[in-house]
Amino acid sequence: MKRTIVPFGPQHPVLAEPLVLDLVLEDEKVIDAIPTIGYIHRGLEAMVDRVEYTEMGFVVERICGICSFMHGMGYCLALESIMSVEVPDRARWLRIIWAEISRIQSHLLWLGLGADAFGFENLFMHCWRMREEILDIFEKTTGGRIIHSVNRIGGVKRDISDSELIAIVARLDGLGKAFEATARVFANDPSIRHRMSGVGVLSMADARAVDAVGPMARASGVRMDTRLAGQNLYDQIEFEPVLETAGDCLARVVVRMREVRQSIDLIHQMVDKMPKGEGLPLENKPRGNPSGETFTRLEQPRGEVVYYVKANGTKYLERFRARTPTFANIPAMIKLVKGCDLADVPNIILTIDPCISCTER
Amino acid sequence: MSNPFRLPMAPRAIRNLFSKPATRRYPYEIRPRFDGARGTIKFDVDTCNYCTLCAKRCPAAAITVSREDRTWAIEHLTCIGCNVCVEVCAKKSLAMSTEAKHVHTHAEVGPQGQRPGHEEWHGADPAIAAAAAKAAAELSIDAPSS
Amino acid sequence: MDRQGFLARVGEYHTNGWRLAIINATTVPPVDAAEPGIFEISWGFAKDLEFETIREQVTTADEVPSVSDFFGAAFLYENEMRELFGLNVTGIGLDLGGQLYKTSVKIPFSHAAVKARLAATAAATAAASGKKA
Repeated sequence: MKRTIVPFGPQHPVLAEPLVLDLVLEDEKVIDAIPTIGYIHRGLEAMVDRVEYTEMGFVVERICGICSFMHGMGYCLALESIMSVEVPDRARWLRIIWAEISRIQSHLLWLGLGADAFGFENLFMHCWRMREEILDIFEKTTGGRIIHSVNRIGGVKRDISDSELIAIVARLDGLGKAFEATARVFANDPSIRHRMSGVGVLSMADARAVDAVGPMARASGVRMDTRLAGQNLYDQIEFEPVLETAGDCLARVVVRMREVRQSIDLIHQMVDKMPKGEGLPLENKPRGNPSGETFTRLEQPRGEVVYYVKANGTKYLERFRARTPTFANIPAMIKLVKGCDLADVPNIILTIDPCISCTER
Repeated sequence: MSNPFRLPMAPRAIRNLFSKPATRRYPYEIRPRFDGARGTIKFDVDTCNYCTLCAKRCPAAAITVSREDRTWAIEHLTCIGCNVCVEVCAKKSLAMSTEAKHVHTHAEVGPQGQRPGHEEWHGADPAIAAAAAKAAAELSIDAPSS
Repeated sequence: MDRQGFLARVGEYHTNGWRLAIINATTVPPVDAAEPGIFEISWGFAKDLEFETIREQVTTADEVPSVSDFFGAAFLYENEMRELFGLNVTGIGLDLGGQLYKTSVKIPFSHAAVKARLAATAAATAAASGKKA
């Protein structure tokens, strides 16, 4: 049969960012997909030889506007492990509270974008209205809606008062109730089921073979979550990753919806467990310049991120590298796109929650 | 209808009919910013001792300080609002205000190479300031009381 | 590098159920454009909570075997290594032929490019301090 090559992107209604897939079609079936990225490659990793390590944290934070808190936190964790800085307890708890709040923010953003992609614009607006409340919490506690700049090597710069924390938990509870109404639509609306159910099925074996990470792997039943490693105090709270077994687009939506609920529950536990009081220490300043190397892993909303930092005892790092979750999920996406219908390609691409800014850095 | 979930959006839609909109009429109605929101940097020229620490630590290189000329300048459009300069300032001359950054139009940039967002302060020369203070003091003594 | 031994070790990780977490290359100083520079490559494998790496030092003249046969996700990292570091990776599963990134500098992490960047930074710093003085 005659083959047609259809370029998908860089400008496409479902994509917020430029990703190109050259789709090789036979009739309506996709035979092959060749990815091209690089339209927004900014060379942030190459900046380490002219940006001091103390200032690099602000650059890393700007890799992506959605996981900005987690990027900043991951960079600080990596440098702290190299410089063996002990982070005060309250600062560590505050960090993971903010991290879970940003997970809720990211998932609500994605659920909205997903709804927009299959043409349910009303739902998109409801998701983003809820996300706005999270951004309010961020602006109130960190000073910024998107770029928070509260992480420093050795701790955090701002405290949240105990009364404020209780107010945040109450607010998240209210948000959780409002979210249930929207979640019911995602789970039950017939048009969504038609569009998502049974589309783009990634089996458990395939998910392992292409090294999928994050919600993508968990929707296929792979019990994989870096939070299970118990670093960053996750061993002190009850945590079990959300798993779905269907592996289709709907399962990936459901995993993220359940993770929103789970994150609200985790924040409850964190606020209960953390040391209380005013004026507790939040920061231990590091001394000297870093020397050594480390791999740091962290669970971002989109999946596992790996930071590699190599320092040589000067104020400039030798190498900084971030392997972001989308980078690891692109092979899975290509695997799914092969063999599907052209009309399902947008949905499949969106359900991996692609963040091209993260991927290219 | 047998399945009660056939119209899952219906309750929400009915509620929306009778509730206020979730959005604001933006230019006419501006949301107040929270306390502690990071906005623009405010500089106090009287307390600064021109130690240049803020300029050295600024990740965006938005601040230029000259000890000799006693000038302190900031490019507000380069500033990333990270609060580092406020943290390092020993004299507490810098403060982060919640006021949102000013938006500059293309017309302001202009063909003559104006620098929108550039703000500059000139501190008084200590020698001149001392002389002026001395002169003022002498003036007040010498001034006839009648 | 020892090709057979390397592939055997990677294959062992694969059969024991490890997953490829990262392939990372690093430009090893000193950067001197005259000699073929040394690069360090780390293959990072993760299994549940553990993380291990295989590490090799190579030059641009060496042939780096692809691990695409074992790990389906390796092709992106390997294309990246070739485009950003100029390493000669052979047998990539999905060869993108230099079309992955669009960078203004060809091979931005090659020893020559890093050297040029360092020189430019030093010149800019010198110019800035000269202006002040």
